Formats: sequence, C-alpha cells, structure tokens
Amino acid sequence: MDFYLGLLQVMGVHTQLGLSAYVVLQTGQVSLAQAGFMAIGAYIAAMLTVLSGWPLIAALIAGALVAGLTACLVGFPALRVHGLMLVVATIAFTEIVRLFFFNFDYQIARGSLRVGPLGGEGFRQIRYFPENGWTTLHVAIFIWTVVALVMAALWWMDRSRAGAVLRAVGEDEIAAQSCGINLTAVKVSAMTAGGAIAGLAGGLYAHYTTHIEQSNFTILLATFAIAYPILGGLSSVFGTVAAVIFIQGFLVEGLRFLGDWRNLLFGALIVLVMNIRPSGLLDARTMATLRRLFSRKEH
Amino acid sequence: MTIPRLLAASAFVTTMAISSAMPAAAQEREIRLSGFGAMSGVVRSFGINSKAALEAAADEINKSGGVKLGDGTKGKIVIDYFDDRCNAEEGISVTRRIASTSSLVGIGPTCSNVAEPLFGVLQKKVGDAGDSGLQFPIFTDVAIKGGLAKISEWAFRNVPDEGAMYAALFQWLKKTRPELKTIFGGVEEDFAHSRATWYAVMKEVAAKEGFEIKGEAKWLLADTNFTNQAREARRAAADIVAISAHPFTTCGMLKELGRQGVKPKLVIGLTSSSSLETLQGCAAEAEAIIIPTSFAPVTPEARAAADRAAKFNGSLDLHSGAAYEIVAILKDVIEGEGVLAKPDTVQADRAKIRNGLSKLTETKGLIGISKRTEEGEAVKPFLFVHAKGGKWEVLHNPTK
Amino acid sequence: MLIVDLVQSIVDGLLFGATYALIGIGFTLVFGVMHKINMAYAAASVGAAYAALRLIALIGGPAWASLLIAAAAGGVFGLIIYWLCFRFIPLSNPLATLMSTVGMFLLAEEIIVHTTDGMPQNYPVVVRGILDMGEFMIRGDLVFVFVCALLAMVVLLYLLYRTKLGIATRAVSQQPVAAQLVGIRLNHINALTFIVTGMLGGFAGALIGSAVGLLSPLLVIPLTIKGLIVTVIGGLGSIPGAIIAGLLVGMAENVFQYFRGVTERDIYVMLLLFVFLVFRPGGIFSNTVKRD
Repeated sequence: MDFYLGLLQVMGVHTQLGLSAYVVLQTGQVSLAQAGFMAIGAYIAAMLTVLSGWPLIAALIAGALVAGLTACLVGFPALRVHGLMLVVATIAFTEIVRLFFFNFDYQIARGSLRVGPLGGEGFRQIRYFPENGWTTLHVAIFIWTVVALVMAALWWMDRSRAGAVLRAVGEDEIAAQSCGINLTAVKVSAMTAGGAIAGLAGGLYAHYTTHIEQSNFTILLATFAIAYPILGGLSSVFGTVAAVIFIQGFLVEGLRFLGDWRNLLFGALIVLVMNIRPSGLLDARTMATLRRLFSRKEH
Repeated sequence: MTIPRLLAASAFVTTMAISSAMPAAAQEREIRLSGFGAMSGVVRSFGINSKAALEAAADEINKSGGVKLGDGTKGKIVIDYFDDRCNAEEGISVTRRIASTSSLVGIGPTCSNVAEPLFGVLQKKVGDAGDSGLQFPIFTDVAIKGGLAKISEWAFRNVPDEGAMYAALFQWLKKTRPELKTIFGGVEEDFAHSRATWYAVMKEVAAKEGFEIKGEAKWLLADTNFTNQAREARRAAADIVAISAHPFTTCGMLKELGRQGVKPKLVIGLTSSSSLETLQGCAAEAEAIIIPTSFAPVTPEARAAADRAAKFNGSLDLHSGAAYEIVAILKDVIEGEGVLAKPDTVQADRAKIRNGLSKLTETKGLIGISKRTEEGEAVKPFLFVHAKGGKWEVLHNPTK
Repeated sequence: MLIVDLVQSIVDGLLFGATYALIGIGFTLVFGVMHKINMAYAAASVGAAYAALRLIALIGGPAWASLLIAAAAGGVFGLIIYWLCFRFIPLSNPLATLMSTVGMFLLAEEIIVHTTDGMPQNYPVVVRGILDMGEFMIRGDLVFVFVCALLAMVVLLYLLYRTKLGIATRAVSQQPVAAQLVGIRLNHINALTFIVTGMLGGFAGALIGSAVGLLSPLLVIPLTIKGLIVTVIGGLGSIPGAIIAGLLVGMAENVFQYFRGVTERDIYVMLLLFVFLVFRPGGIFSNTVKRD
C-alpha cells in the first residue's frame, strides 16, 4: 500500500510540474524554464520550514510566490523571442538557476549540526513530513489536494474567457492582437501562473524527497515538464494527468518487469505515441467524444 | 453469472490457493533480499556488477546449505534487483516497492544522490512513534558520500573509509618514496564524493604527513576542456598530482597533462576510479596511477568470489565486492538474530536484522576483517593498486 | 595572473570552440535552414562516433577512417530520425516533432549506454601534434578541427546556394506548398537534407571524440546545449555565424573559467547568451530575410 501511495505522491508532483508547463504552452510559448521555477520554490519552501520553522502551507505559498514573481520578471524579456530562441533562452534560465544554487551556501547552526543549503552538497534533512508524523497516506492526500485545486482552477479557467484568450494567443498572435487582446499581459500572466505552479511543485518535491540539490533541477526535468502536456494533449488539463500516469505509472513502474528493456522502450514509446497521436493522448477530438459519452449517460 | 455461482467459484479458487500455498511452507523458506541501484546511464556498470555479486553470493550460500532460521528450518536466499536510474524519486519509490514485498533488507543504492534522500525518508530513530519515516533496513554497497549512515538508524553501509585509506597511502609514500614532497590536486567540483575526498580527505591527510600542497585545479564532471587546469598543474610543478574525479574527467585531465608535457613523478586517483572504466577510457595515460581500494583478488576468498561473480556476468571491484560481502554479513545476522522468514513475521524480521546490524563491531570481508562503527559505517581493509599494462595490479598490501 | 596565461586561455578557448563551431554548423542547418527542431542531433552525432569506434575495433583500420565511417553512420541515423520523428507527423504540429525528437534523444542515449555499459571509450587520436610557439602551446588537433569546420562551411554553402538540392532545400523550408507546386518532392528533399546534416553531424561527433580523447554518454547533453547556444548567437541558419559563434563561446567559456572559476563559468556563458538575445536576436550576422 505504501508503495502505491508513494507512487501517487510522485505522480502528483509531476502532474503539478506538467500543469505549470501546460499553462505556458497554451499561449504558444515552449518554455524549458519550469525546472528553474521549481528549484526556486523548492529551496525557498525548504529553507522556510527547516531554517525558520514556518508551517508547511505558508512555506509552500511563499515558495510559489517567489517563483511566480521570478517568472513574471522572466516573462517580459521572453516576449521578445519566439520559437527556438525562446527554448534556448529558457534553457539558459534553468541553467543559471541551477548554477546559482550550486554556488549557494546558507547554513545555520542547529545544536551541533549545521543545516541549510550547502552549494554542491545540497540541502539535506528536510524532514517536515516524518518529524510531524505525516504518513505516506497523509502526504499523498495533501499533494493531490494541492494538485486538484490547481487542476480545478485551470479547468475553470479553460471554460472561461481567460482560457479562450490564452488559446487565442497560442493559435495566432496576430489575429488575437487584432481582436484587441493585450499580448504582453496574456503571455506574462501565463508565464507567472506557470512559475507559481512550478514553485508549488518544487516545495512539495523538496519535502517528500527530504534532500534537494542542484543536480535535481536540470534541463532534462524541464523537458519532462513540457513532455507531460504535449504527450497528454493540450486541449484539457486531464491530458497532463493522463500523460503523467502513462509515463510514471506505466513506463517507469509498470514496465519494470522488462528489466533493461524498460529504458529502451521509454524513448521508443514516446516516439511512437507522437507518431500515432500527434496532438497528444487526449486530444481535442477524444475529449469531445468523452464529453459526449458522459453527457449521454445522464439521459 | 449469478451470485450463488460467483460465491461458489470464489470459494473454490480460494481453497485451491490456500491448499497450494500450504505445501510450500513445508519446503525451504525464502529469504528475500532486494538489491537496487543504477542500471542506466553512465553508472550502469555499477548496477550490473552489484546484481551479479549479490546473485553469486546468494548462490554460493544456497549451495552450501542455505541459512539457518530461528526455528531450525533452512532458508534459501532469493535476490531481486531493481533499477533506480540514479534518480532520487525513483530510488524512494523502488524502496517503498521493496518494502511492500516480503523482502527483508534493501541492498543499495549506487548513487549518493539517491542514498541521501532515501535515508532521509527512513525513520530517524528506532522506536520513535512520532516519526512516520519508513522502517526498513537499507545496507548500502556503493554510495560513498561521507557521513550518510548517521542520517537514520535503519541505514547501514559497507563502503570504504577514505580517510583511513589515504592516510595510510600518504604515510607509505613518505616512507617508500621520500623524494616526493609536493602535491597538486585536481577536483571534480560538482560531485559530492570527489569534492569531499580532495578537500576533506586527501588535502588534509597529505598536509598532516608533511606534504606541501601546491594548490588545486577544478572542473565539472562533464567537462572536456582541461587546458587551463593542466597549465595550472604545469606551473605548480608538483611531485604528486592527486586527481579526485571519476573516470571520464580523470582520463580527460590525464590526456591533457600528456599533451602539455606535464609529467608528475606520481599520480594518485580516486577510489571509485580503480575500476575497469578508467582502463577502458585511457589505459595508456593512466599507466602507473596509484589508487587505494578495498578489493583486489589477493585472497582465496576474493579470487573465488570474483570467479563466481563472473559466472553471473559481472565483475568484482571495490563496489560490487562490498555487495558480495553484504550477503555474507546478512547471513550471519539472520542466523544470529533468529530471523524466521515467515510471511507473517516480515516486519519483525526486518527489526531483528536492523538490531543485529547495529550490534556488529566487525565483519568478515573478502580481503580481511572490517570494523563497523556506531554510526553504521564500515572501516574496511584496503590495499594499493596501480595500473600496469591496462590492468589493475596490487602494489602494496598493508593488511599483510 | 600572468598575461601569458590569459592569452593562452583565450587561444585554448578559441581552439576548443572549433568543436562547438563544427557541431554548431549542423545545428544551424537543421534548426535554421530546415526549420526543424531536432533535439536528437547531438545524440545521433555522438552515436555515429560510437558506431565508427566499434567498427574500427572489429575490422581494424587507421584512426582517420573512423571519421568517414562516422559520417556514413551519421547519414543513416539522420535518415532514421527523419523517418521516425518527422515523416509521419503533420507539419502543423511542431510540438509533436519536438517531443518525438526528445524521445529519440532518450532512445539514442539509452542505446549508447546499453552497448557500452556506460563506460567511457578511448578514442584514437586522428591528428597528433602540439605546436610550440615559444611561451604558447597550440593544440594541432584542434587546428585541424577548425580547418574541417571551414571546409564544411565551404562545402555546405556551395551545396545550399549552387546546387539544385540546396535550392530545393531552401524552397521547402520557406514555402513547402509552393515548393510542391513547382514539382519538388517534399519527402525526398527532406530525407536528403537529413542525410546530409546527419553525415556532417557524424563527422563532427567523431572529430570531437578524437579531440576530447574519449567518448561517453556524458558528452551528449552539454553538446546539445552548446549547439543550441551557438545556433542562437550565430543566427539561425547562418553557417559563418555558427563558426564565429562557436569560437566565441569556446573562448568565453575558457576566459570566464580563468577569471571566475569553474563553478560560475556557465552562469556567465548563459548571461552572454542573454546579451545576444536582447541586443542581437538575429545573431551575429543578423539575417534580415526571415519568414516565420
């Protein structure tokens, strides 16, 4: 049972990370910066609970706010670049954040121990959960509550004008501008929201792995962040969840019995999925079909 | 299917299941030990070798009569091995998976960046009811970053104590090579193990033995351009160059030193680099490098173990050798603590094994007796090897 | 800090930048001329070098033969990548092709790891020689890499601007529909260009392997990132830009390392990239003619 709950935790945090990229992808911006925002959220939240004894929720919110603020600042220069240039710029941002934490020392003495981030050694003993008696079940429920809240917010936004505006910018910027949409406001807001969500994911990550270091927040993680919404389909938040279940549940854990072949299948299956379902696992047509099915049941 | 039929069918199935399980209890009982480590990425060879070592050791014990359990029955060891891909989240997930089976101990991980988070997830102090950490014993074979076992009372390691090894090396050099007086370091900065070994071990110990530290050159673990660093080494013109880095950058630095014509009188390497990888990468440039290690086929046990591991498609080195030793240590602990290995005694057995491991003061290793510390670490016997003609040969064996 | 050391650092950096220039040319062709984001390019190039090494070990042969074998292997891998990641995915889905090349990258890296158990492989030296010029040392093999980059540039510029294949390639990337209307076979041309850039990539991979002296899976991600940075600084699609940018990045890297040490070096390289993105988003030789 513990194992499945642990797996749920991992899927929750990764869904959160995927959702942070989902928001930004809707405006047509391919951002590999989510890992950087996640790092910021992770370190801030961990420092607050470990060094300053803050309660968990407050620390997580603080981490998300700082990450969101950073995303806002990154969003403005990001406006000037498109396509590949944006990809490279966001890669550079993630690397800068990672290298910053590589050089970041902030330790205070706690009795005979020194706690806090120590550059390349990382930040150990983030034991808020075990020290406060949270079981795997508690943590899993907590993580998924956060994820569910974020998903609900995004789903609600999708069905409101804000969602339409985001997608309009993603589809065709010039047409959107012609309708009077303020491109700057939309893109920066999306980036900020994505950053805050990623920061929240980072805070959760720090607490359930109990140890974070710069090598956790790499370009590869950022690539996974955009992989989830792209593989799952950008038409709905459920696509991201589906992709996380596919990758973390099926590919990583489910295929364990294949031993060595699992890793080879990983890349191969991603290529396959993108070839047979280029708009993602749950693309617009599938979602429409599902909606029809569910609405028919009511009659 | 109607309800009565369903009930009848499930009753039938259940009876069959129970009856087929019962005869199994009369056979040898299974002692499940689960290894986990990196089977992917640049550290893939570590996982392969550890797995082979575990299987070889288990096979040997099973062939010579198995393990004596607490109620007098015999148990045979079953090994499974999981790939954690050197990833913290996956390592924790794998450990939870292992803990949900009948496995009694987790043997691993390979990577220190998995070990540290994993130990943090374990219960810190045994018996602390307010600590909801995982209660599952982990016995590490490879992850070598200093001071990790003290993170939790459920964590134990069988990894070499580099402080003692390099201290002995420098003392021996002082005695046998008195012409060597100065030392220059090369450090892989972004890997906790290599970084700590230069600053906290090599540098301190060399200074204590009276060597003059001329400085150090730094690089990152994926670097490929060592022109600056080799030039710094050239300027320092030290007798000894000590490279605290893994095979990829060790080879890169050695090649650049060769290109720039820097010929120190002696090159010393990092313990983990005394493996096949370094020789695959740069056998020519690594010629005569001296590295302290905790495994070489210098005793009959070591040689036999190496042969057995080869039959399971792995090679024995200081890392997988530790895994081999762990199985033997666990056999002793299981027998000593009266572990029952019954399906309903799993958690009790795990606690017994943990207790047994924490009580150990010394264990029998493949090349000699290892001492065990209160923190759950090991102080293993070691020897010095050097690269000669593309192979690692024993240079000096202090245990003799 | 000696002036000699600083100058040597600059020279060494420029020389090592030749490797970035060589791989950057391929990147800028793929990303800039063909407008395809192929995240598996560096992985395929290193993979081709591995294949060459394996073949040389099996059948024997001089070190320089590995360059040709790697080029051939690179061409094959390029074609495979085209088939698996681009051929069947509709053009209107750039995200899908991006993700499929990411999957390909993971697959390529995993194949490399499986066949070598992750261990570094020694790469034979193709060009020997250190040129001693008084106080300074110049790595002959890196000069050779630079010469190769210049040669590649000449060949590719000729290919792009003086041959039918080149015109067809540029036509297809600018206006795929119009190109088809004038009788250019889209898939045929695309496949050919992937083969050509793949061959260049394989050649670059082998040469880089020989310059570094080792092949390891650790090479792939840094090369991918450097290739992307060089492409952006040099300007998407500009081959001379890629060469200059490669040398510039190599030099900047080494100089930053000399002044600020290895842990901060890459921060400054990234900041350099940002400076270019802000002030010269079109690259060193700003291409004014570009249709998105």
